[in-house]
Amino acid sequence: MEGSSLAPSLKNIAPQQEYLLQGSILDAHRDTLLHRLRGLCDNAESSFEMFNDYEAVYTLRNSSTTQQNDPFLFRVRRALDHPDAADHIRYLGNAEIGLGDRRPTLVRACLDVACSKNVREFLTEMGFRMDHDYVARGVFFHKGRMKVMVYKIYKLIQPGITDAKNLEQLGNSHVVELSVVAPLGQEQIGEDMKNFADQLKPLVLLEKLDHKNL
Amino acid sequence: MQAPQSKEEKQLEVSLDDLIYRVREIKQSIAGFIYKLENDYQNISWPNMMEHFGVLSSQLNSLKRLLKTSKMPLLRNYVLFPILLSPERDLHLEKLTEGRVLVFSHEVVPDYLRTKPEPEVEERVQALSVKASSITPEATQKQLTMLNKITANLVDTISALSSASEERDKDLNAKNILPQTYNTQETNLLIGAITKGHISLQSEPQNPMVAGPPMGQMQPQMQQQHPQKLQMHGGGMGRMQSSIKTNIKAAASSHPYQRP
Repeated sequence: MEGSSLAPSLKNIAPQQEYLLQGSILDAHRDTLLHRLRGLCDNAESSFEMFNDYEAVYTLRNSSTTQQNDPFLFRVRRALDHPDAADHIRYLGNAEIGLGDRRPTLVRACLDVACSKNVREFLTEMGFRMDHDYVARGVFFHKGRMKVMVYKIYKLIQPGITDAKNLEQLGNSHVVELSVVAPLGQEQIGEDMKNFADQLKPLVLLEKLDHKNL
Repeated sequence: MQAPQSKEEKQLEVSLDDLIYRVREIKQSIAGFIYKLENDYQNISWPNMMEHFGVLSSQLNSLKRLLKTSKMPLLRNYVLFPILLSPERDLHLEKLTEGRVLVFSHEVVPDYLRTKPEPEVEERVQALSVKASSITPEATQKQLTMLNKITANLVDTISALSSASEERDKDLNAKNILPQTYNTQETNLLIGAITKGHISLQSEPQNPMVAGPPMGQMQPQMQQQHPQKLQMHGGGMGRMQSSIKTNIKAAASSHPYQRP
């Protein structure tokens, strides 16, 4: 029932795909990486673009999806450093298989929609429940249409409360993500990303990670 | 004069002999050096040359030390003055000086017995000292501090440069060693946390149900967590409850055997 109500709005959105390479950098070496990225990416002269986002992942299960292991997930993001900005809801598909290992990056369906603040209540009303949440805080860079993010994950001791006291950093590394969101069928971008990732290589290993094995 | 030698005279004689010996030694090494320079200059190398200079300077130093020792009588208290000057050739003198001074005449005596610099030199020294004394002590102090400052700055600059380059070398070496800047386990932990929400698994290890079943059997776990979630989202309690109840039913019916 939810699927049919969502369908009309989704039809208006061009199908996009996210090309993704992921890795991590130990906290101690983060500044070295930022320095290098600043040199490699656009706007080298301006200061770092920071972000501080709270992401809550909502999941929906009904009788038709219980048979599958992969639940239906919506990721709702809110910028903690820009309280006036619209919330953002994102659907990510599973990694596409088919072309096998020939593709240099992970490719998955991706839908991004800006939405109003009450999206959480809306989702809860529809039967979604919050699966997990975290705060991502870090820096992002642009290089053409590529986006590089270096950020720290903070888990919330009490879900939903983003007070500094409630945050606890996860691990001793920052996540490094190189991603491009592009319309269907632009396989070339994967090669570009691979080349870019190679430039960071001794420092960070950006990989096509198989999320199924995590 | 020979017989009743005072203690002082004896000492003078001994020390003079010593001095002469030293001076002769220096002369020999200088002569050897000059000879080498003049006749064997093709084979002389820079380290060789420095070696010669080193020998000379150490000899001069030991001569200076000898002059300063307490055993050495104060030579300036002794006056030497020529009694007889003659234009005749003096064989004894020639032998003593190894053929360099043939006559003890008016021409050579002022050069050899000079105790003051030459008049021209004296004049220039005079001019310089006048100039030096004409500057006020404050100005001198000022110039001195200025010079010290400049020198210190220069030294700082140079040492900073060298230490920087050392550091760079060290950095390069460190890069060559390739320290591990990333950790694959950490990558998996973090990516797992953001894509699959393994955060909650870690933060709530006290919940046995969470740690218990493998990933494929999430449903019973959901029911356990629902009461908690309800309290979180306090807002639309009534309606929410109803929708969730159906969920629980659906989950329970699909895995009835999981329920205790």
